[in-house]
Amino acid sequence: MNKSKLIISSAAAAILSIIFVVVITIWAEFSAPLKGWLKNFSGHHWTSKSIFSVLLYSVATPIIYFLPCKHADTCLKRTLNLLLIAVALGVLALTLFFAEHYFKLI
Amino acid sequence: MTFLTLLQAKPVLIGLHLGFAILGIDAFLWLLGKLRGDGGSHRSLIITAVVGVAGFLLSWLAGGYYYVIYYGTLVKPVIKSGLAPWVHDIIMETKEHIFLFIIPLAMTVLFITLLDKEEMDRLGVRPIATWLAGTVAVLGLLIGAMGFVISAAARWGVIK
Repeated sequence: MNKSKLIISSAAAAILSIIFVVVITIWAEFSAPLKGWLKNFSGHHWTSKSIFSVLLYSVATPIIYFLPCKHADTCLKRTLNLLLIAVALGVLALTLFFAEHYFKLI
Repeated sequence: MTFLTLLQAKPVLIGLHLGFAILGIDAFLWLLGKLRGDGGSHRSLIITAVVGVAGFLLSWLAGGYYYVIYYGTLVKPVIKSGLAPWVHDIIMETKEHIFLFIIPLAMTVLFITLLDKEEMDRLGVRPIATWLAGTVAVLGLLIGAMGFVISAAARWGVIK
């Protein structure tokens, strides 16, 4: 097993998972049909988001691992830095979105 | 009362949610110290990360069950009609979604601990690994603080 590739795959899948959670959450707040579909899928919109985010991470990790990558060692630090940035931006985006959604600042 | 019924009791679920989260936070803080100080064996790094991931997974299951089954029908209406309805709309909504970032992030840190000391230093990932382990712990603490605010809003919602 190539450990560098495993870490890159996991970090890239985590970034995709974070983007998915942020996008689907904000989108569902503006789209009643999407929120309804998420609710109907599992009984609760949050459960559906949880299931899809775990599935996305679990499926994307092995797929990315088996993609050809010649420079895994050099990509490693860059991907981990991107993951840290994605987490920070994800937290900021959701916090600001729900604050704005409540206070109707814009 | 069966053991399963006991596990599904509201105060027990909240206790398990918080207890397992504390386990996850402590494990990642410990991991942060090990990564920063270059201390502990390779095996202990992996075990600490596994304990942290397991703690957050169990916290997610207990908290998720409580949230889906009880929060919406019993707690949310109290907060929404209380002194601080914004606590649900901002704090709870943000908390429940940020929580979903933790497992993929913690799993990535766990995979980093599979690298031995030499590999970690050769690849130069020790500083970013330390940052990521710290981020997991800080996110856990932030979510814990949000949970405290939510509980307080529900208590004051009843007292009002």
